[in-house]
Amino acid sequence: MLNAALPWLLAGFLIVLGAGAVRRISLWRAGRPAPVDLIAGLMAMPRRYLVDLHHVVDRDKAMSNTHVATAGGFVASMALILLVHGFGVDNVWLARALLLTTVVMFAGAVLVFRRRLNPPSRLSKGPWMRLPKSLLVFAATFFIVTLPAAGILPDGFGSGILAFVLLAGIVAGLGEMLLGMGWAGPMKHAFAGALHLAFHRRPERFGGGRSTGLKLLDLDTAGDKTLGVAKPADFTWNQLLGFDACVQCGRCEAMCPAFAAGQPLNPKKLIQDMVVGLAGGTDANYAGSPYPGKEVGKAKGSAIEVITEGLVSQETLWACTTCRACVEECPMMIEHVDAIVDMRRFLTLEKGTTPGKGSETLQNLIATDNPHGNDPASRTYWAADQNLPVMADVKEADVLFWVSDGAFDMRSQRILRAFVKIMKTAKVNFAVLGDEERDCGDLARRLGDDATFQSLARRNIEVLKKYRFKRIVTTDPHAFHVLKNEYPDLGGSYEVLHHTRFINELVEQGRLQLNARTGGTVTYHDPCYLGRYNGEYDAPRAVLNAMGIQLAEMERSGFRSRCCGGGGGAPITDIPGERRIADMRMDDIRATGAEVVAVGCQQCTAMLEGVVEPRPEVQDIAEMVAAQLVDVAEPATAREVA
Amino acid sequence: MSSIIRKDPRKNWILRNRLHPLHQQMLVAEGAGNNAVVRGPSGLIRKNPHNIGFIGPNGIKRIDRLGGSGTVVAAGQRGEAVDTRLPLVQISNPESWIVVVPDLAGGRLTSHDRDVLGQARQLAAANPACAVVALVFGDLSENLADDSNGLALAGVDRLLHFSGDDWNGYCPEQELAAMLAVHRQLLPQHWLFPDTHLSGNDRALRLATRLEERPAMHAWQIRDGRVTCRAGSERNDVTRSLPKVVALLAECAMPVDDSRHEVLPMALPELPGVLARIQDAGAVAVDPNQIAMAEAGFILSAGNGIHDWEQFHEAARVLGATEGASRVAVDDGFMPRFRQVGATGTWVTARVYVAVGISGAVQHLQGIGACEKVIAINTDAGCDMVKRADLSVIGDSQEILAALIEQVKALRQPAASEGGRHHVA
Amino acid sequence: MSLDKSLKVRVLVSVGQHPKSGRERRADQDSRALELALGMPGFSVGLLHAGSESPALREYLGMGVKAIDVLKQPSSADVVPALVQALRNDSPDLVLCGTRAETGEASGMTPYRVANALGWPLVPAVVSISRGSDGTYEVLQALPRGQRRLLKVRTPFVATVDPAAAEARQSAFGPAQRGQLQAVAVASVADPAANDLEFSPARKRPKRIAAARKATTAAERFKAATVKSASKGGQVLVKETAAEKASAILNLLVAEGVIAVDSPS
Repeated sequence: MLNAALPWLLAGFLIVLGAGAVRRISLWRAGRPAPVDLIAGLMAMPRRYLVDLHHVVDRDKAMSNTHVATAGGFVASMALILLVHGFGVDNVWLARALLLTTVVMFAGAVLVFRRRLNPPSRLSKGPWMRLPKSLLVFAATFFIVTLPAAGILPDGFGSGILAFVLLAGIVAGLGEMLLGMGWAGPMKHAFAGALHLAFHRRPERFGGGRSTGLKLLDLDTAGDKTLGVAKPADFTWNQLLGFDACVQCGRCEAMCPAFAAGQPLNPKKLIQDMVVGLAGGTDANYAGSPYPGKEVGKAKGSAIEVITEGLVSQETLWACTTCRACVEECPMMIEHVDAIVDMRRFLTLEKGTTPGKGSETLQNLIATDNPHGNDPASRTYWAADQNLPVMADVKEADVLFWVSDGAFDMRSQRILRAFVKIMKTAKVNFAVLGDEERDCGDLARRLGDDATFQSLARRNIEVLKKYRFKRIVTTDPHAFHVLKNEYPDLGGSYEVLHHTRFINELVEQGRLQLNARTGGTVTYHDPCYLGRYNGEYDAPRAVLNAMGIQLAEMERSGFRSRCCGGGGGAPITDIPGERRIADMRMDDIRATGAEVVAVGCQQCTAMLEGVVEPRPEVQDIAEMVAAQLVDVAEPATAREVA
Repeated sequence: MSSIIRKDPRKNWILRNRLHPLHQQMLVAEGAGNNAVVRGPSGLIRKNPHNIGFIGPNGIKRIDRLGGSGTVVAAGQRGEAVDTRLPLVQISNPESWIVVVPDLAGGRLTSHDRDVLGQARQLAAANPACAVVALVFGDLSENLADDSNGLALAGVDRLLHFSGDDWNGYCPEQELAAMLAVHRQLLPQHWLFPDTHLSGNDRALRLATRLEERPAMHAWQIRDGRVTCRAGSERNDVTRSLPKVVALLAECAMPVDDSRHEVLPMALPELPGVLARIQDAGAVAVDPNQIAMAEAGFILSAGNGIHDWEQFHEAARVLGATEGASRVAVDDGFMPRFRQVGATGTWVTARVYVAVGISGAVQHLQGIGACEKVIAINTDAGCDMVKRADLSVIGDSQEILAALIEQVKALRQPAASEGGRHHVA
Repeated sequence: MSLDKSLKVRVLVSVGQHPKSGRERRADQDSRALELALGMPGFSVGLLHAGSESPALREYLGMGVKAIDVLKQPSSADVVPALVQALRNDSPDLVLCGTRAETGEASGMTPYRVANALGWPLVPAVVSISRGSDGTYEVLQALPRGQRRLLKVRTPFVATVDPAAAEARQSAFGPAQRGQLQAVAVASVADPAANDLEFSPARKRPKRIAAARKATTAAERFKAATVKSASKGGQVLVKETAAEKASAILNLLVAEGVIAVDSPS
């Protein structure tokens, strides 16, 4: 009886799954078009899943093994179930293979079940608590149902009451696995996730690549086209698909500095709210941590309602420091930061509601090309005593030193001077743009003002076109990132180096000799825009090593480094929380017992030095290197030069 | 008392050694570091060259070796007896007139008024029969009209004084009518106004509009019949021939300081009846905490050293001060962000700035650069805020604020019934 | 004024310049005037600009206004006749503008001359306008140091907005691009007196030095002119009791006049 019903049952479930999938796809298609190579994406999908995604999941070994067993077991089981029970292929070995895969899946499900006994707070509860049980039922039921086909039990096994029990198990198991996949159960992640990997908006991220630059916004306002994302339907369709891929594992939440600081942001909840938005409804069914200080259940929206009018509050979007810790950590490779900046673009470009000092800062950037409204003709005042070659005079140099807006800040000027000293000692042929330099546009862009970013960037590119140089070196990771990764979209492709990498090169080439540094313990804080955005973890450490420093690493360092709180315009929008991110980071630093924290970013320096003393000293690597330079004894020529 | 001077070698050593960590404290403990009598190792009195002299115009320290030496002091003393009465300048039959409309904030001459009157005198000097007339609206205090007082010393020959309750409030239309009547009567060469918000500026523009004159506003220099004015955004100067109506910025000219003038009252012209379309409904009581930080005249600012916030708020209330805060106090959530004072917060211009428990980070000191008087309450005598402050009290802020609150309350007690309105400048 | 009719407020806007870079932008005070107008319930807001059609005008549109009427005038023209003519045609109930322009001579005469030509009262340095009970408007005027004065005026009137008025809202790029700069044809009147004006970059004003009145020696004049009195560090009280310290503070506060005491004045 059961054997007769099973194929129909399977077919029925598959049809319902198909219907759900079609509905889901139609929801995604409400989004804006996006250029995606569908075929290539689908072809690449298995590799992306098995290699790239596994690489992220594998950071948690136990969970990785659990998922491999469960998911691998399920996929194999499902295929074999279709063969054995669906098409009735009568092959003992196939059936026995099915038995094996269900056992594997069962083992995985047990592990899932055990994790769910006492789940960490970052995991969502609700339907996700049901999932391990469904998995167990599915695996166990199909194990038993397959026993006769595998020749282990007689064919007649499984009739009467047992048949009903097994039928119930099959319905429950298939219901969770197939129905849930198409109709927004927890298993949706498998379906949406697979397609998300195939149609990802940043295919460059797979295969060891890196893609972190924000996408260019089309500023054409003809017609009634909204700039940025007002409604869920304003996202591109593959972004909507990406939101649906979320497994609510909460790794983003655990890494988010704003969440830890009690600011009203939780990346997981944000993505779930986007899911609510694209499908329509409320967040009443959300069973994870809320935005700190905000109640769950009040948010509602739909694909055609403005997101910030009921679904997500504006502070939530402005609390993000764009540190990319969530994106780095997300096993489904969801692009949280892109989504947040897209929504910020709407708030800034259409609504004009950039909070805090945002409005003032953007006006300054427009009117003076720097965020503090300083006279653009005073950009080189810091170097009055430095005798720097200016590009307008020399026209050509090996290295173009991109000074950045640190030129206006007295603390940052110390870093700039230290770096100039280093370059002079190494006899680098360099020049600066002087007053022709403008803000790189990073701040405007993260505040959602892509118009100002593009204006600044285009004018900078115009200036850069006039001169010949081999590469650009900067002490500001934000400028580094923007010049390297975001200017190419506007036609400016350069070889850009962060000063730590450049110094490391000089040391390796023997053009710089450094004394061993004595004194207390040192730790290193990875700036987000250097590390996570550009993968530069080694050069700063190598430079510190060259000074004989043994680093006391923080628990959160490298790609898991915690933000200083200074990125994404967060100090300007200044969304209140319970703690300050910089204070938390300083606690990380104190935990290493370090007396000095080395950094490679003037924004980080400013944020960390803003922590009330007593605290470890904050020094840029350039400053530390400048203090350890071995003076090459050539007094005569040195005097001539000076 | 023994005449033997006891030496404390350690103390002397610290006092001599500016790099010693206790040097500042020791100087302070010795009382008024500048005038401390310091004895060298041999018992001789030593002059500390770091504590005498003054900073010259180019930032270099100057030590006047004459030290206000005998002859100079004597000359000064001889001169003083003569000073008490400056020579009186009389203009008996004026042929031409320069009218100045001083602000007289609170019934007193402001330094800005004196500068404008000084400018008027310079213009009048070209013609010995030219008199400077002060056109005054509203009541005067302290017998300003007295010939040996205020207006006389500021250079006023004649006085036109519209007084009485009708003239005390904001009555621009009536004032304009009076100015026009005076203009018809005297046909003055020039009308000079201090270019001040709502007073001189408003009057000058109203008068110029009715006279169909192009006024020189924001003028800061008059030379050779041409006037130089600050133009828009302070980026340009405009120089032009000197018009009839001029509104002058502060420090446009030196005030009169070497003569006395008559201040003869003149007969007031007949005024036509004026329909006042703008009615003054009086000053509005403003809660000091509602005043924008950048505008506030009196700020009580809190920093990391405050522990009793209730008491701080009470102190601000009792003193009638606007509350401010350092960045740390804001970061720690004790004060809202818009209260932050400093380069990264608000640049304040208060006349008096009281910093309680603020050590004085560079950005903070930048932000209070425009404050006239700074009072520091701090536990650390060596902190930068104490160096900046005009008055520093070292000690527990809680005790000092408590004593201050008590004393202010005691001071206010008799005056409590008068109503707590601040004087409106 | 009747409540039924929708009241019209016209905001006169100009092209400003950033004080540091000199780049064209929306003028700060004019945008505060627009902010004030946008915050008044029951008024329809219109913008009027006389002068060149600068792209900086779009920053006003970015504050949420659909269009600006631009009276095209050459830079040598006197804009007041054109403004007056446009306002007469339009007959608004209220005209708002900034106190002082950011470019050119910036004497602040325009609102006064416009009001005079229209025969309306002019209320300077306004921070808020609200409807009073008896058909008048209650106008809050900014006095120095954050103090305020209440005035009552009947419409129509011209008001200049004080820099202490609420800060202008952010100008958003999208609406700024979509808004319209509507050219309105008007005759222009040349401003002959402008020829007398001679513009030069702002010179630093000489710092006033205290001249010694009876200085007889050069050393004394020099000292009088250069000595810095306040900067050599203030008085420091350490050993006194808390009460003595407090009274020292109080004395200074009273001497500076920030604490109201019943002193004869």
